[in-house]
Amino acid sequence: MSISAPRYVQGPVARVGRTFRTLAIVQREFFRRATWGPLFAVALTWFIVIIDTVVSVDFATVSHGSVRSAFETIYESAFWDLLLLIVTATVGAGSLADDIGSRSITLYLSRPIRLSDYLAAKASATGSWILIAAVGPGCVAAGIAAALGMVSASDAFAAVGGCLAVGVVVTVFFTGVALALSSFTRRSLYAGVAIFGTVLALSASVGVISGITGNADLLYADIASNVQGIAEAAFGLPSPYATDPIASVAVLLLAGLALLGLAWWRLSRIEVVGE
Amino acid sequence: MTGVVDAEAVTKRYGEVLGLNGFSATFSEGITGLVGPNGAGKSTLFRLLAGQLRADAGRLTLLGEPAWGQGEFRRRVGYCPESPALFDWMTGNDFVTTLLRVDGFSRTEATERCARAMAEVDLTADGNRRLRVYSKGMRQRVKIAQCIAHDPELILLDEPLNGVDPVGRAAMSALMRQMSASGRHLVVSSHVLYEVERLTDQIVMIANGQAIAQGDLHRIRDLIDSRPHVIDLESSDPRALGRALSAWDHVVSIEFPEPWHLRVLTRSPDSFYATLPELVLAQGLNVQAVRSADDNLDAVFRYLSEERR
Repeated sequence: MSISAPRYVQGPVARVGRTFRTLAIVQREFFRRATWGPLFAVALTWFIVIIDTVVSVDFATVSHGSVRSAFETIYESAFWDLLLLIVTATVGAGSLADDIGSRSITLYLSRPIRLSDYLAAKASATGSWILIAAVGPGCVAAGIAAALGMVSASDAFAAVGGCLAVGVVVTVFFTGVALALSSFTRRSLYAGVAIFGTVLALSASVGVISGITGNADLLYADIASNVQGIAEAAFGLPSPYATDPIASVAVLLLAGLALLGLAWWRLSRIEVVGE
Repeated sequence: MTGVVDAEAVTKRYGEVLGLNGFSATFSEGITGLVGPNGAGKSTLFRLLAGQLRADAGRLTLLGEPAWGQGEFRRRVGYCPESPALFDWMTGNDFVTTLLRVDGFSRTEATERCARAMAEVDLTADGNRRLRVYSKGMRQRVKIAQCIAHDPELILLDEPLNGVDPVGRAAMSALMRQMSASGRHLVVSSHVLYEVERLTDQIVMIANGQAIAQGDLHRIRDLIDSRPHVIDLESSDPRALGRALSAWDHVVSIEFPEPWHLRVLTRSPDSFYATLPELVLAQGLNVQAVRSADDNLDAVFRYLSEERR
């Protein structure tokens, strides 16, 4: 008879799927961005949009004007786009640049996740912040207006739908812009400047060239023109603009997805090399 | 080749600079030390193994799988990068737990494993502090915690003891030996040679992007027959001892660096150690201490590098 020490073997451990693994990154990256800059940008957007919308709706109610038009007022000026651009730059500039610059991207990518999972997680975290800024204040303003008896519940729900439609489309576009430009640098400051500069320069140049040439199709390259057209349609208003809202939606969604593709292409060619 | 890690003529360029230049080696089971000076290509090899770099040429596999990419087999591998960059906004516990969840563990399982791993690297008390306030040694330890927490088969440790205090080094070394004893394979790189020497005899030596030697440290040393082996002796009468030793064919030279100190250069250390006791007894010589002055990695590395030139 022989006696030997027992050998303890650990049984297989159940592992969650890729979606849950990716969600772990989304959660961390979302809270990572909860710093003073993004919080201030989002708070500023909420404050201005809510005040502007509630005051516009109140004025429309008193003057017996169009309530839907009042809800849509905020999208008429390029100011809303500028606020979202600030949110995008503060939230999204470092989303990839920080990880590439510090090479901490290695810690994620040496795990059993794909590059597409990592990018999807980054896009989800960045997009969530932009979505909160793009959709949240409009919905809250509609709720406040309904609660104060300025508008009916159905008008408030319609306004929420309009905010969602505009906000989701714009979020896809700005998320693509943020990740694409963030993937091209190791410094979030450069990415932030690039996000701001690219969008503003594009809008300004398109406006000028379109005015000179009289070619209205060029306005599809201008974020503000697209947003205005989409907002008019989303709030059920007749559009005075030269852009077709369906085409504008397609342009922004396709551009956003193409930019995410560009970020993926860029990341797939990045090698985390030495110091 | 059927090692834990197999490299066959692996080449990696950074533009004009060669990171690895036809590196070929087989890393066997247990602990393997990857040793070489700074800039030799150690970190490049680790990044290739971690799937962070793609080799320009050659074949590199770990655990039988191609090294490039982020496949599911990555959960069988733990990687501790050399870079001190961490997710500084997280606490130590959050850091390890998050990476465990990316490995596929449920939140509960990840929390339990994190607690065990943090205890193993003696960071339990600091687990709830943010990483940005961690010292360099603590950062090294938390990197090791994330690397071992998911119980990988193969653990890649790139300069793991860099920045860790002496007490921490001893504890880390003990932990590495313990992991190896439990059946895990470790590849440990270092340019601090005595650290690796104390961990393992299995060495892969790298210089200028090439493996210049691999295998058992002492066998590597034995291969170096073109160089004399330095042995230091202490004796109350070093001149008498020197006269006796000078009769041996394999003794190349004898020096007297200090009054009680004799330095012998021999081409056959095995014969020297085998016959020295007989000589001492036969001639009634006094020998108080015998030390191998260069049977360590520094000397071996220096010899091998010089030989290749």
